[in-house]
Amino acid sequence: MENDAPTDKNAEDSNYELFVRRFTHHEPDLRRFVRSLLPTHTDADEVLQQTAIVIWRKFDQYDPDTNFMKWACVIARFESLAYRRKMARDRLVFREDVLELMADEGMEELDSRNLEHDALESCLLAMPEKQRELITLAYTPGVKVKELAEEAGSSAAAFYMRLKRLRRQLMECVEAKTQPQEPA
Amino acid sequence: MRGGKNPTTGTRLMNSARFNDLTPEEQDWLDTYLDGTIEPDDFASLQDRMLENPALREVMRRYLALDSFLQNESLDAAESPGGAASPWLDQETPPVVDSAPAGKIIRFPKLVPIAAAAGLAFLLGTIVMQWTSRNDGSFVQTDTEEPSAQGFAVLERLFEARWPENSAGHREGTTLGAEVFQLASGTAEIQFFSGATMTVEGPAEILLRSAWEADCREGSVRMQVPPAARGFKLQAPSTEIIDLGTEFGLKVRDGKGHVEVFDGEIEVRHEDGEKQLVTKGHALGLLPDQPVAAVKTGEVNFPNRDQFDSAAVEQQRSDFERWTSHRDSLARDDRLIAYYTFDKEGNSPLIPNLTLPPKPGLDGAIILAEPVAGRWPELKSALEFRRPGSRVRVNIPGEYPAFTFACWVRIDSLDRWYNALFMGDGYETGEPHWQIKNTGQMMLSVMVDDSKPNPGAPNDAGFHRVYYSPPMWDLSMSGQWMHLASVFDPMNREVCHYVNGKQIHHQEIEDRFFIETLRIGNAEIGNWGRPFREDPTWAIRNLNGRMDELAIFQVALSPPEIARLYEQSRSERR
Repeated sequence: MENDAPTDKNAEDSNYELFVRRFTHHEPDLRRFVRSLLPTHTDADEVLQQTAIVIWRKFDQYDPDTNFMKWACVIARFESLAYRRKMARDRLVFREDVLELMADEGMEELDSRNLEHDALESCLLAMPEKQRELITLAYTPGVKVKELAEEAGSSAAAFYMRLKRLRRQLMECVEAKTQPQEPA
Repeated sequence: MRGGKNPTTGTRLMNSARFNDLTPEEQDWLDTYLDGTIEPDDFASLQDRMLENPALREVMRRYLALDSFLQNESLDAAESPGGAASPWLDQETPPVVDSAPAGKIIRFPKLVPIAAAAGLAFLLGTIVMQWTSRNDGSFVQTDTEEPSAQGFAVLERLFEARWPENSAGHREGTTLGAEVFQLASGTAEIQFFSGATMTVEGPAEILLRSAWEADCREGSVRMQVPPAARGFKLQAPSTEIIDLGTEFGLKVRDGKGHVEVFDGEIEVRHEDGEKQLVTKGHALGLLPDQPVAAVKTGEVNFPNRDQFDSAAVEQQRSDFERWTSHRDSLARDDRLIAYYTFDKEGNSPLIPNLTLPPKPGLDGAIILAEPVAGRWPELKSALEFRRPGSRVRVNIPGEYPAFTFACWVRIDSLDRWYNALFMGDGYETGEPHWQIKNTGQMMLSVMVDDSKPNPGAPNDAGFHRVYYSPPMWDLSMSGQWMHLASVFDPMNREVCHYVNGKQIHHQEIEDRFFIETLRIGNAEIGNWGRPFREDPTWAIRNLNGRMDELAIFQVALSPPEIARLYEQSRSERR
């Protein structure tokens, strides 16, 4: 997608091209950032849509020599706050002060997130295959844990418990790989 | 317990906080927030804690990012061929071509509406692509079991336990980890791996922190702490109780506590720093914002293990009696082919077939299998097939139009590739194989034609089809008694599997696998007598576990009939 950029398009087109490249490149990171501020993946997706629109609208203000991700995060932060106000009655939405703290600190951790991503890949590979399949399946959008549990003849509670354990295992593995042995 | 108090600075925090630095409570909040099941009060507490604790925020962002990563990984896995391979389809012999997946196909919801701005068609484009590639119908449920014998305590016994509405409840034998244990009423006995035993009477809410620590928020508790578990800590209102090897009771209602020592001594530490030793025959009142004060003993009732024991024995007896009357009427059911309850009769090497009128020719011969405690340990025996050679041999002549197999079994572990329940010796035409795969899947098959090769499996005994259930067992269920049933129903062209009276799988018998005359002949319970290959991982099929009832019917029992069979023979306590 990033190859063979046409050279004979007008400025608008090449600007758009740059936007598409930058955005697609950073989309997973941005999604992750937004996800840490909002209760569900669906909320994160919605805010990401809105963020993409705003980024495109403001793209002429973006200096291509600066860090796109930071710039995008600022917009995503703003959009998340706006979304929060709209959704404030949902009991799982963070309070404004909490959300702001999470966003501001999260912006400083983008490098760690990348390291963690690499670590997760290897942690997943090191997992027994069945466990990996279970967690992958449970995270596939649209798959309902309750239905999975029913089909496996196990209770939803037991299934959640198993998933929780796997997730915690992965978390420990990621932390072990990305953090120094000695506690600071 | 809480994560380090890193100063909040404008720069990145030191990479010091880890998930395990959080308190079990905080860890639970994170999980429930992530799953969307967090209680409003907890969510408020979580946010308060987040504001004051940068370590919690840091771990939380990492955890949420992990959640997000996993979502992406799943997209990738679902798209790559074989990424979501299904051991579900793993057959005893390679599956016959075109065989439909045994598992149900998971339905995906319709495309989520995505607000698409004009300039964002590309974004929509990629998303639609991902959805359709996952939507091609080839995605079936994968094997979902993993050994999950984690945790630090076991729910040893229950008596008349009722669970709060929002809780799925627990069964006896469940392993407990860091979690909030809630009991609406009744009594539960929790055995910590440190050796401490907690008897709890509901309504109760106990936060289990580790094998050495729990937090009694509500409820009436009796602790018995042997010397090996000395130092066990129990959090009570405004105090912490350290057990110095003893037996004591703690009752907490509405934030007020009452602790009483029955034997040995305990140390009570008040949150203002004051410590106090309390010895046998003394009691303290624990009131919020007040110093602890001596109070009278004997005025509060604590759960009593002896009462609990005798009540449990009483319940066993009544369950057992209900079952014996069920057994006696079932024995006269003329749809039965054979019926064994594995009760030990002196030194007899036989287990009697109980069907009436009597058919002693159907008695089983016990080989190496050992008599052990059955479903009601004091009252009923079972046979254990733990040793590789153990088995019960039977000879059951005749031709039958259908099979229903139903048994009570306690699986200790699935050590073999295939773990036998009931196996026809030669696996000749019309003979059944009923077993459990190491994945926890039930398997039932009947040889369709032993003179025809199985396509793709020249070494196989002949042309047949194995009908698999979804996985229904994992290590966390080790030692629990369960009722298993499988039905082979040629007339309705269907095979069904049941666990504890509930159908977990049904599958059509296709034309080419149709067979209407069924036989048994020489066969074995708990093992396989005449494997036709020598490879030990394949040939050894003894069941590492025990069985205490097996009924074989020559008809296909209906789902309500199987449910009734389970209900009438189950133990109230499990």
